[in-house]
Amino acid sequence: MRRSLAVALLCALALSGAALAGNGGIAPVEPASPNAERINDSYFWVAIFTGAIFLLVQGSLLWFIFRYRRGRRDRTQEGAQVHGNVKLELAWTVLPVLILVAIGSFVFYKLPGIQDVPSAGAQGGRVDVQVRGYRYYWNFRYPNGVIAVDNLRAPVGQTVRLEITAPTFDVIHSWWVPALGGKFDAIPGKTNVTWFNAKAPGTYRGQCAEFCGIQHAAMKAQVEAMPREDFETWLDDEARAQEAGTSELGKETFDGVCAKCHGLAGEGDIGPRLSGNRLLEDAKAVEVIVRNGVGAMPPVAKDWDERQLKALTDYLREKVANGG
Amino acid sequence: MAVNAEPPVPAWQRGRVASWLVTVDHKRIGILYIVTSGLFFLAGGLMAVLMRTQLAQANGDFLTRDSYNEVMTMHGTTMIFLVVVPILAGFGNFLVPLMIGARDMAFPRLNAFSYWLFLFGGIVLLLSFFAKGGAAKSGWTAYPPLSLVQSGNGQDLWILALHILTISSLAGAINFIVTIHNLRTEGMSWTRMPLFIWSIGTYAVLLVAVLPALSAGLTLLLLDRNAGTHFFNPDENGSAILYQHVFWFFGHPEVYIMILPVFGMISEIIPVFARKPIFGYRAVAFSTAGIAFFSMLVWAHHMFAVGMPSFLNGFFMISSMVIAVPTGVKIFNWLATLWRGNIHFDTPMLFALGFLSVFTIGGLSGIFLAAFPIDWQVHDTYYVVAHFHYVLFGGSMLGIFAGLYYWWPKMFGRLLDERLGKLSFWLIFIGFNVTFFPQHMLGLLGMPRRIYTYSEGGLWEAYNLISSIGSYVMGAGILVLLVNIVRARKGPRAGNDPWLADTLEWYTTSPPPPHNFDSVPYVASARPLYDLRRRLKERGVL
Repeated sequence: MRRSLAVALLCALALSGAALAGNGGIAPVEPASPNAERINDSYFWVAIFTGAIFLLVQGSLLWFIFRYRRGRRDRTQEGAQVHGNVKLELAWTVLPVLILVAIGSFVFYKLPGIQDVPSAGAQGGRVDVQVRGYRYYWNFRYPNGVIAVDNLRAPVGQTVRLEITAPTFDVIHSWWVPALGGKFDAIPGKTNVTWFNAKAPGTYRGQCAEFCGIQHAAMKAQVEAMPREDFETWLDDEARAQEAGTSELGKETFDGVCAKCHGLAGEGDIGPRLSGNRLLEDAKAVEVIVRNGVGAMPPVAKDWDERQLKALTDYLREKVANGG
Repeated sequence: MAVNAEPPVPAWQRGRVASWLVTVDHKRIGILYIVTSGLFFLAGGLMAVLMRTQLAQANGDFLTRDSYNEVMTMHGTTMIFLVVVPILAGFGNFLVPLMIGARDMAFPRLNAFSYWLFLFGGIVLLLSFFAKGGAAKSGWTAYPPLSLVQSGNGQDLWILALHILTISSLAGAINFIVTIHNLRTEGMSWTRMPLFIWSIGTYAVLLVAVLPALSAGLTLLLLDRNAGTHFFNPDENGSAILYQHVFWFFGHPEVYIMILPVFGMISEIIPVFARKPIFGYRAVAFSTAGIAFFSMLVWAHHMFAVGMPSFLNGFFMISSMVIAVPTGVKIFNWLATLWRGNIHFDTPMLFALGFLSVFTIGGLSGIFLAAFPIDWQVHDTYYVVAHFHYVLFGGSMLGIFAGLYYWWPKMFGRLLDERLGKLSFWLIFIGFNVTFFPQHMLGLLGMPRRIYTYSEGGLWEAYNLISSIGSYVMGAGILVLLVNIVRARKGPRAGNDPWLADTLEWYTTSPPPPHNFDSVPYVASARPLYDLRRRLKERGVL
């Protein structure tokens, strides 16, 4: 008994070791933020127990199948007429309860580190970003008013607090970048808060996790983590550029918002061809369409700032309407 | 006691087709249920293969976006509402009166009414593919606001079909409850009932308890779509989350509605093929009731990502984990039933042992999902798809195949071919694991469910391809099963009791006569036929 227990434990350890080292999908993706790390810790903790139970059940199943196979015995030959054993049955009722207590306690122990957003006064400060899910793009807004689409730039080593929601005229989406933590739904009329603190520079990819319609699969997002100084410089520069109307926001908006249905070059896909459409030079007409939607097209820009709308109409006039 | 006094049947009702159309015989209705669900299973399986073909490679263009979403929605809806729930009703219909020694169900006409509503509900659902705008395409859960903004009539027909199916299931459930409570034969106390009867009784109570919630939610959804109300429309101060609570209050017990009767089947099959009594009858029976009770307290574990307060997340984590305890009791008791047995590996037993193996995996992955911070990572990913297919295909369907092979001789009086049976088992069992095991990895690697395509790169491509290949192997296994069924018309005769089983349905002929039994032996234990064989042996008759 003790030996099989030791074997089971060893196997569970080996499994978690393999998972830690390689990860071909044995565990959640390599975490790059403390909250994601703590989720992974919980995952491995649960895996130890479930791994042991797995081995116990499958092992005894195979053992019994082999050991008590019929062999040359006839169907009329009875097996042992055992009707039960109260002590045994109590044991396999109580033992799982203890295991579940161990799992539940560990989860609650880890929970604050996963869920609670570090305070703004803590070391390094904090960046608060609003995240809004639309069909089929993510709109971000920084405290200084800078707007971004689908690509969230973030500082390394600093807490980023996300306020996630969706406009009331839209549907439910779900914000998820696996390396930076769990997913939270972007729900019309409700705001969810989560956070991350990227350990290293890099691009962390994710995509909408709540089925949101025809282009759900195209609703991708990424977090571009960069050194803090670079981030702050970018944020200041971008704020100035967006105020002056010289930023790349128009292209970013076109790629994130329009291209998902009208094609990357505006060549037409679910929606009609945009490239070379002279009507797009009329900013007023474009505004009516993107603010209200038309036919199957949702009102993608209903609650946008003037700034983002102007960036888009400028881009459409200069780069798309003439077929460029 | 059962008196053979059939009322005279009018001539026009005696024809081969007409007799099936007007039948109120529980055995025929049961077979109608099973055959109809079987056909729907083929339709739903075809949809699954279409999806796996689309996803076999990155940037696949086998299906269009819209048709993928329709097929994805209809696959889930079909398998749940047109296959698993009704096929279990079919087994219940065929078996409940036979197992409790009764003449028929308590309300034979209501029984026929249930079946015909089920058939028409299924037809409405499948024909909605041809509706304006195509079939529903917001997933089998139909979350608003998405299900509110879908244009066309598919979503409305989806709601109406589910309404019809709900009424069918409710009528059937009431029939089961009344039958089990009132028509048990002499001597059959609650603790002498076959465990399958326990599970069907619990299935029926759960249906009565939670189907009204589904009906209410769907009615509000229908009104929101067509009558200008806004219960679930956030743009008019409705709540999108409210629907999820109502839906999952039905939806999670539904999972147990789909698995408990299968637990019952497994509890019948394993002892017969291990030549032993079930280990811990009372524990197995009472854990069924325990699971049913707790299943109504766990619904919001489907909603950990909507942002509930921690105490609610905590409550639903603990309640979901609690339900693992009675489920574990069953698994351990089944294992103990094998211990010191004389295990015969006929096809029903192979499927039952396969069930035991893969259902355990589905149960264990459920513990990860119940721990809500882990769920934040794996929720709405292929990990969840893998989990519920391990439970619903590996669990329910493998169990149903076990039941089909086990009771087929009783239903039709012919044995299925063992060689084809074993071939179909291995193809289905291996194909199943090849299809769904890699989906755990896909989910952990960040692949959300319900996406019609994905880009190149990483392990997604490899795992998706493996998964698709597995689905074809599984499909081949199903085809072998079909061949076996077709060939069984000429199979060897079964006799009353080919497996030397213990319960009353094996006392009568195969197939049973319309009135089921000429006489029913007094039931003195949960294994009346075992007792009978023993008595005959003591008297030297056997």
